[in-house]
Amino acid sequence: MTKRSSRLILALAAGVFLAVTACGTTHENSGSGGGQQAAAGKCKGPGAKYTIGMSQANVAEPYRQRMDDDIRTAAATVPQFAVNFADAAQDNAKQVDQVTNFLTQQIDLLVISPNEATPLTAVVKQAYDRGIPVLVLDRKVDGDAYTEFIGADNAEIGRQAGQYFANVLLPHGGKIAELRGLAGSTPAKERADGFAQGIAGRNIQIVATQDGDWLQDKGEQQADAILKANPDIQAIYSQNDPMAEGARIAAINAGRPDLPITGIDGLPIEAGGIKAVEAGRISATFVYPTGGKEAVAEAKKLLLDCQTVTRTQTLSTKLVTKDNAAQVYAELNRG
Amino acid sequence: MSETAVPLVEMIGVSKSFGGVRAVAGADFTVREGEVHALLGENGAGKSTLMKVLSGEVGGYRGEIRIGGEPVRFTSPADAQRAGVAMIHQELDLVPALSVAENVFLGREPKTAFGTVDRRRVVTETAALLERTGVTLDPRRPVEHLRTGEQQLVTIVKALSLDARILVMDEPTSALSVHEVERLFTVIGGLRRAGAGIVYISHRMEEIGRVADRATVLRNGRVVAEFDARAMTAAQASEAMVGRPVHLMFRGTGTATGEELLRVENLAVRRPRPGLRDPAGVTLSVAEGEIVGLAGLLGSGRTELLETLFGVGAKGPWQGRVLLRGSRIRPRGPRHALKLGIAFVPEDRRIAGLALEHSVLANTVLSIVDRIARLGLVSRRAERNAARETTERLGVKLASLSGPVGSLSGGNQQKVVLGRNLLTEPRLLLLDEPTRGVDVGAKAEIYRLLGEAAARGLGVLLASSEPAELVGVCHRVVVLRDGRGMHELNTAEVSEADLLAASMGEGAVPGLTVGGA
Amino acid sequence: MSVELDEPVRERRSEFLPALFRFQSLFGLVLVFVAAVLYSPHKNGQLLFLDSGNLFNVVRSISEIGILAVGMTLVILIGAIDLSVGAVLGLASVGTAALLVRDGLGVVPVVVIVLAIGLGFGLLQGVAIATFGIQAFIVTLAGMQIARGLARIWSGGQAIGITYGDRPGQAPVAFSLLGERTFGGLVPIPALIFIVVAALAVVLLRVSAFSRHVYAIGGNEKAARLSGVPVTRVKIAVFGICGLLAALAGIVHAGRLNFGGPNDGGGYELDAIAAVVIGGTSLTGGRGSVAGTVAGALLVGVLRNILALRNVDANIQLLVIGLVIVLAAGLQQLRPASVS
Repeated sequence: MTKRSSRLILALAAGVFLAVTACGTTHENSGSGGGQQAAAGKCKGPGAKYTIGMSQANVAEPYRQRMDDDIRTAAATVPQFAVNFADAAQDNAKQVDQVTNFLTQQIDLLVISPNEATPLTAVVKQAYDRGIPVLVLDRKVDGDAYTEFIGADNAEIGRQAGQYFANVLLPHGGKIAELRGLAGSTPAKERADGFAQGIAGRNIQIVATQDGDWLQDKGEQQADAILKANPDIQAIYSQNDPMAEGARIAAINAGRPDLPITGIDGLPIEAGGIKAVEAGRISATFVYPTGGKEAVAEAKKLLLDCQTVTRTQTLSTKLVTKDNAAQVYAELNRG
Repeated sequence: MSETAVPLVEMIGVSKSFGGVRAVAGADFTVREGEVHALLGENGAGKSTLMKVLSGEVGGYRGEIRIGGEPVRFTSPADAQRAGVAMIHQELDLVPALSVAENVFLGREPKTAFGTVDRRRVVTETAALLERTGVTLDPRRPVEHLRTGEQQLVTIVKALSLDARILVMDEPTSALSVHEVERLFTVIGGLRRAGAGIVYISHRMEEIGRVADRATVLRNGRVVAEFDARAMTAAQASEAMVGRPVHLMFRGTGTATGEELLRVENLAVRRPRPGLRDPAGVTLSVAEGEIVGLAGLLGSGRTELLETLFGVGAKGPWQGRVLLRGSRIRPRGPRHALKLGIAFVPEDRRIAGLALEHSVLANTVLSIVDRIARLGLVSRRAERNAARETTERLGVKLASLSGPVGSLSGGNQQKVVLGRNLLTEPRLLLLDEPTRGVDVGAKAEIYRLLGEAAARGLGVLLASSEPAELVGVCHRVVVLRDGRGMHELNTAEVSEADLLAASMGEGAVPGLTVGGA
Repeated sequence: MSVELDEPVRERRSEFLPALFRFQSLFGLVLVFVAAVLYSPHKNGQLLFLDSGNLFNVVRSISEIGILAVGMTLVILIGAIDLSVGAVLGLASVGTAALLVRDGLGVVPVVVIVLAIGLGFGLLQGVAIATFGIQAFIVTLAGMQIARGLARIWSGGQAIGITYGDRPGQAPVAFSLLGERTFGGLVPIPALIFIVVAALAVVLLRVSAFSRHVYAIGGNEKAARLSGVPVTRVKIAVFGICGLLAALAGIVHAGRLNFGGPNDGGGYELDAIAAVVIGGTSLTGGRGSVAGTVAGALLVGVLRNILALRNVDANIQLLVIGLVIVLAAGLQQLRPASVS
């Protein structure tokens, strides 16, 4: 390298940096705040076209893939809507960047299923303050800077699961094990807390609790260990269906093929929990609805009909057992 | 023409260029049955390229090659091997983690009835080959545990195992001790009697006179001279190679008269490293301005002694004392040694001396960057000046200081290592085989530089396996055997033959002063 | 194959080609940048990509990976690897949040403590590698697990949210600057920190004696040791710096997201390695530059941004980034041998 070519390179580098730092004009804080009023501003009636940004926490999870699919299916029936999908692959920082990119794209409405509440709060507020209606799915953000939250109540589902144990599986009490989701994630905590409430005072003892990280193979490993250490347990409460399927394999290997194991999620797909219940691999599951269909319906209200929406829409769960599995599956896939 | 008159190998008008650079230009070269043909030339003269054309490693040449009168055109080394041509490389192409036997049979392992490698046969056949060659090595030992010279013997054994009719040896003795060179010559004699043709590339004149029948000299890719090897003198050969008369040997200007610089008294390490020959009782001294040689067979502990003095030898306590200018020292490592004023030019510059991809500049100033730095920051100008001054003083031929050091010739690379060490302004310079793989011209210059350094008052301790070098360059020579100092010879009074005899421990040489324990 | 050259008759080749290879990521960045401008979607007559807010988003989005990649460049230059940086980032973000919120410490002590933790963690790994001679891959693989475990223990398994205010359980408002969209109306603080770190590293790598030692170790460790380079000390220092920068990235992460997540930073070490490779640094050590790494990180950032703005499918985005890494590595293979 000669000095001259080094200088040339440096000049080029400086040019790029200048370009990065100096081009265009800034849009900082040009929003006026207030999603509900703003929604009216975004509402241009059924004659206009709208771009919706859908920020998904992690498409690799079947539940979240289903949420995207539900939105895609529902939006396909609304010719005015075009939906841009982004996947954060379980990375909070990446999801923040993706919402920021949506803002650059000047979307008309944001649908977000946050990876975690707190890290996404600021950027969601930023969108909301700019007058973009925000529909939050499945996991909330902190504070109240959003238009509507659509989701099921994890604690409530946990409670219902607990009650199912107390009333149906072990009415006389007994020893059980719990397979939890990823340590540190909100649904894992809520599903555990709700379940504890549901079985409170009913003489049911959780003798073993392990983290299965929402994954089938991890669930199998953990259940395997649990069954070795506590051969006397009478049922397993798994916080989702894949871990429950893993636990079933462990139970079969441990010579307990009939051990009652329940899951949560009840995805209406071939590899989902409802089919597993129908096939008898899981004793029961609780549908955790994605809210995708509902989100598109609310977007229609906000953008096409210029209506207001409620702050919170809690989706109800449904107990799926072998008796109603086929019926629920058909219902949920009717569109 | 009768059958026997057809040469084994005929290369006629062979030319080869690499990207516009002509490495070989219209060279004619023949090898007859039962002949050892020496190929001489400075580094870069085209010897290796010519032989790589012959052994199928380099294609795309012009000219013709005939083997036993039949025109051939090899496209790969395997191709050439099938025609009976095998080459022993200067760079040792062995797999370090594999054993001696596995290396010898690499790629053509004998199989058992089940199709698996017949390990027992690999070992027994290698052992037989080793015995035939007179090499005492365990065939099961991993090659990485062998010293460079031993590895070189393994490559030779490997080539022999191919049953080649034409064997090309590129500097086969550069890492061998005198003793092993003798063995190799015995093997070569056997091959010659069996009718093989051998091409022998070497920088060592005295070997060529002993082993070769004919000698061809290449310069700039052209054949410039052909000699009867037995009648050829070193001066003739050097002149043909360099193109001008060369004064090969530096003779110490009388006896050194400086004060005592280094004194080693009964040095031995308590916990010698396995597989190596750490000092087990060495006594010697080096005065200011004196060049002292370290002689001995391979495995006699020359390298280990230098390593110990530089602080990279065996860990653990020492017996005996080492005094530098009268004060007792024990270098903890290279950094400490350099601070004490001891510098070290290691044996293999490619492995231990240079970062080949890095610039000449970076390699030259590496030992002093933190000395010329202020507050940890290096002035690029100071760095460049130091490098330029050193390379100019040492006469390093280079295109640019920023060019990679790996593109220089072996001799110039060695000068860079030497220059880096001299830049640290040492009082004592330790050198291990400093002219290995270096051509005649550069060799003479390195001797001159060592002489100059000594004249400035530096003490030099020079380990070498070339008796001519030791006798020609050093004031005194200390002979090591099994990690002990056996003899001390005054080079003004002894011949190379005396030195050889002392190294091998064959009888007492009259007039020797006995040093060591 | 060795080519023997006797006479220096080689024509002086144009200096452009070596420069192109040496600064491949910089040229790549220019190329991608131009392509992004051409490919940018319009809205209301404006190029969305060139919007200054967007360009700063790009710099901010790569600020954490960029800071990690600067440290990773040093590690890779000595021929080693550090797989622990992502987990150390997570640990540092948890530490930042916990110390601010739970322990009520001020911003300065928190930053000092967290940086010290990162530095200490890196130094310990360095000691294991340089003094005890365990392979860097293994030590830092273990370090990754240990840092992740420590983060989960410290956080109690729960992510720690950061709220700002003067009441107990709230962090000093000053720390929220990191998360604020911009500073001085234009430059996001994380981007600013990254730019300062990168500039410092570029300058120090050009002028310090330390950097000469780093390159020498990567070029030929044995030769470096015999030349008096304090190899052990330099290696330990390099891992210390890498850990320190990982902790700095963790503080930025916590500030950006107002959150300390024990699981955050997973896979960031691979993104950092990718930036280093695209930047033209050789994984075998001894060759490369921080400037290249910075350009490599920016290149990935610009690419991700324009693909997102064009609404390209997430899976296709992965493919494109993967191809860029392969291309960069391939270019390094093609580079002329005389370039160094």
